[in-house]
Amino acid sequence: MTDILFYVFATITVASALLVVLNPNAVNAAVFLIVTFLGMAALFVLLEAYFLAVLQVLVYAGAVVVLFLFIVMLLDVKGGRRRSFQPVTAVASILALALMVGAGVLAFSSRNLPPVESPEQASGSSLKAFGEQLFTTYLLPMQVTGFLLLVAMIGVIILSKQVRPVGRGN
Amino acid sequence: MSVGLEDYLAVSGLLFAIGFFGVLLRRNTLIIYMGLELMLNASTLALVAFSRYNNTMDGNVFVFFIITVAAAEVAVGLAIIVALFRKRQTIQVDQHNALRN
Amino acid sequence: MQPANLALITLFAPLVAAAINGLFLRRRGVAAAALSVLAAGTSLVAGLTLILTAEPFSVSASWLSLGGFHLELGLLFNSLSALMLFVVVVVGFIIHVFSLGYMSDDPCRGRFFAGMSLFMFSMIGVTLADNLFLLFVFWEMVGLSSYLLISFYFEKPSAVAAGNKAFIVNRVGDFGFLLGIIWVYWTYGTMSITEVTHLADSGLVKTGIGLLIFCGAVGKSGQIPLHVWLPDAMEGPTPVSALIHAATMVAAGIYLLCRVGAIMTGEALTVIIWIGVATALYAGFCALPQKDIKKILAYSTISQLGYMVAAFGLGAKLALVGGDAHGVHAAVNGGVAAAMFHLTTHAFFKALLFLGAGSIIHACHHEQNIFNMGGLARKMPVTFAAFTVGLLALVGIPPLAGFWSKDAILALAYESNTLIFWLLVFGALLTGAYMTRLWVVAFLGQPKSGKAENAHENGWVITLPLIVLAIGAALAGFRGLYPEAFSGVLNAVPHPEEGLGMIIGAGIAAGAIGILGAWFFYRPGAMQDNLQRSAPAVYRFLAARLWFDEVYGWYVAKVQQRLAQLLSFLEQVFVSGLLVRGAAGMVGLVGLGTRALHTGSIHGYVYWFFFGLVALWLLSIGL
Repeated sequence: MTDILFYVFATITVASALLVVLNPNAVNAAVFLIVTFLGMAALFVLLEAYFLAVLQVLVYAGAVVVLFLFIVMLLDVKGGRRRSFQPVTAVASILALALMVGAGVLAFSSRNLPPVESPEQASGSSLKAFGEQLFTTYLLPMQVTGFLLLVAMIGVIILSKQVRPVGRGN
Repeated sequence: MSVGLEDYLAVSGLLFAIGFFGVLLRRNTLIIYMGLELMLNASTLALVAFSRYNNTMDGNVFVFFIITVAAAEVAVGLAIIVALFRKRQTIQVDQHNALRN
Repeated sequence: MQPANLALITLFAPLVAAAINGLFLRRRGVAAAALSVLAAGTSLVAGLTLILTAEPFSVSASWLSLGGFHLELGLLFNSLSALMLFVVVVVGFIIHVFSLGYMSDDPCRGRFFAGMSLFMFSMIGVTLADNLFLLFVFWEMVGLSSYLLISFYFEKPSAVAAGNKAFIVNRVGDFGFLLGIIWVYWTYGTMSITEVTHLADSGLVKTGIGLLIFCGAVGKSGQIPLHVWLPDAMEGPTPVSALIHAATMVAAGIYLLCRVGAIMTGEALTVIIWIGVATALYAGFCALPQKDIKKILAYSTISQLGYMVAAFGLGAKLALVGGDAHGVHAAVNGGVAAAMFHLTTHAFFKALLFLGAGSIIHACHHEQNIFNMGGLARKMPVTFAAFTVGLLALVGIPPLAGFWSKDAILALAYESNTLIFWLLVFGALLTGAYMTRLWVVAFLGQPKSGKAENAHENGWVITLPLIVLAIGAALAGFRGLYPEAFSGVLNAVPHPEEGLGMIIGAGIAAGAIGILGAWFFYRPGAMQDNLQRSAPAVYRFLAARLWFDEVYGWYVAKVQQRLAQLLSFLEQVFVSGLLVRGAAGMVGLVGLGTRALHTGSIHGYVYWFFFGLVALWLLSIGL
C-alpha cells in the first residue's frame, strides 16, 4: 500500500517540480510549487516524519510560497521575450546534465552502499522526541535560529525601505 | 518491489537536478529562486529518508532547522530582489551584468 | 692624547675641510684656500705628534656583520705606515702652501682646495687602513680625487679626456686588485692586513692573489702596461701633479706592495721585478724626446716608480730565498725598506722638481714647452738653485738624498742578478741625460720667447716651499736624521758590504755620463731639440713611446666598442625585451584572461560553480 502511495506522490512531486521550472508564467510556477511542497509533505508522512510534514505545509507551502506570490504580484513582471536559441547554453547545459548523471551513476554504482533494511517500526519521531532533542542536544542551534530570525526580520525591513530624499517640510 | 532508501534518494536527486536546471536555464529571478527552494527541499527529503532508515532523530532535527532558515532566507532574498528591481527596473538575470569584465 | 684619536684627527681634518669647501666655499677662494691649508697643517701637526710619540698600535671597530662575513673599520699604525704618513702630511702641507700662491689668480680655487683636501683624507686613509677592503675604499677615493683634480680645467677637452683616461686605466688595475681581495677572502677568510701577511702557502693560488693585488699597484703607480694615464695627468694644475702624481698617490701602489708584501710568492716576485725594471728603462727612454717640462717629470716619475717596484721585488725575493742579511727583520725585508726609502726621498725631490716646474710655469705665464724657455737661471735664481738640487738628488749624486736610496736599490740588484743591475745602472744614465737636457734647455742660454723674457722670481709663498723641499732633498738621505719611529723600516735598508765600491761607482758614473752627455749634446737655451734635428728617425721612434696609446686606442675603438654594442643589443632583446617586458606582458595576459572570465552573467557563474562542485566531489571520493 505504502509503495503505491509512494510512487503516486513521488510522481506528483517530480512532475510539478518540472512544471515549476518550465513554466513561462511566474504565478503558475508559484502555484505548481505549492503542489510540489504538498507532495513533499506526503512523502514526509510516508517516512513517518509527521511533524515535519505539517511544518512543511505550514511554513513552506503556507508562508514561503505566499511570500513569493506577493512579490510576483508586486513586481508585476511581464513575461520575458523569447531569447534566440544559443548554442552555448545548449552545450553547457548538456555538459552539466552529463556531469550530473555521471556523478550520480558513479555514486550509486561504484560505491558499495551498505544494504539498508527498513526498520520494523518507527523509532519515535514524534513531537515529544522532537522536543527532547530540540531542548537538550540542539538547544544552542535553536536559540541561534531564533536570533537568526530576528536578524532576518530586521534585515528585510531595512532592505525594503524606500530611500526618500530628505527634503524640507516632508 | 518494496520501496527502499534508494527510491527516496532517487526522488531527492531528481528534484535536486530539476531545481538546479531551473537555476541554470531560467532568466526570471523569481523562478531561479524557486529552483533554489526546490534544491533545498530535495536535500531535506534526503535527510529525512536517511534519518528514518538509520533510526535516528538527527536528520529530522536538522530538517527542522533547514526549514526555518530557508524561510528566513527566502524573506531576505526576496527583499533583495525587490531592492534590485527598484534599482534596475528588471528582474531578468541576464540584464544584471554590471560586474562584466 | 690617545694615539688612535690623533690618528683620527689626522685622517678627518682634511675631510672636514673638503666638505666645507665643497659645499659652501666654492665661490670664496680665499677662505677655501685658508681652510684647506689649515686642515693640512692640522694633519701635519697631529701626524707628526703621532709619529714621534706613539707606539705601533692597531684599533678596529666592527662595521658590518652579515652571517659569516665581517667588515671592520680600523687603523694599523706601525713603522711602515708612520713613514708613509710622514711623507704624506709633510709633502702635502708644503704643497698646500705652495698652492696658495700658485692658484692665487684662479677663480675656481674653492673647488681646487676641496679636491686637494679630499685627496689628503683619502691618502691618509690608504696609509692607515688596517684591512684590504677599507684600503680599497680609500684607494678608490684617491682615484676619485685624482680624477676630479686632473680635470680641474674642465673647459679644456684634453683635461677632461685625461681625467677619464686616468680613472679608467686605474679602474682596470683596481679590477685586478678587487679580484685579488675577493680571492684572498675566499681562500683564507680574512682581509685584515696583519693576517694577510702571515698566510699559509698555497702555491698557485697565492701567486695569483699576489699578482692580482700587484695589478692595483700597476694601475695606481703607473707601471707598464697601465702607465699611459700618468703623462696625460699633467693636464691638471702643477700642485696636483706634484702632490698626487709624483709624491703620494702614485706611491700608494708601492705602499700597498710593502704593506702586504709577505703575500708574494717567488713567481709573483719575478714578474714584479721584471715589470719594474722594464718600466724604469722604458720611461727613461720616453722622457728623452719630451718637450713639455711636466711630461718629462711625469716620465721621470714613472721611471722612479719602476725602480721602487723593482727594489721591492728584488729585496723580497732575496728574503724569500733566505739566508741573507737583509731579510733579518721579521716584518720588513730589505726590499720593502729600499722601496720605502726611495719613496721617501723621491717624494721630496720629485715634489721639489714639480714645484720648481710650477714656479717656472707660473712665472712664464703658463708656458710649458722647454724650448720656449731659456735663460731662467738668471731670472729666477732661487728656483734655479732649488731645481738644481732636486736634479742632482734625482740623478743620485752624493751626498743628496737620491744617492742613498738609489744606492740601496742597486745593492739589491747587484746581489740578485747582474743583468738587472746593469739595466738599472743604465736607467740611472738615462735619468741623468733627460734631466740635464731639461736643465740645459730651460735654464741656461738666452730666453727664447717673450714670456721667458719677462719671467721673474715668484713671491715667498712659492719659493719658500721650494727651499724647504730642497733642504729635504738634500738631507733626506741621512737615515740617522729620521725619528726613531721609522727605525723599523729604515734599519732594514740594504747596506752592501762587498762590492760597495762597484755599486757606488757604477751608479755615480752612470749619472755623470748621462749628465755630461746631455750637457754637450743639447745646446743651452736651444729652440729645437738637437736629437730631433740630427737624428729624426731615432727621435720619432723614441717619441712614439712604443705605441701603447695607439694600441689601446685601437683596442677600445675596434674591439671593446663592438663588444659593448653587441652586449647592448643582447640586453635590449633579452633582458629588456624578453625578461622585463615579457614578464610584465605575461602578467598582463594573465590579467586579461582572468578578466575575460568575469562575464557578468549569473548563469555563467553558476556553471562554474557547478563544475567546481563536481571537481571537489570527485576529489572527495578519491578519484
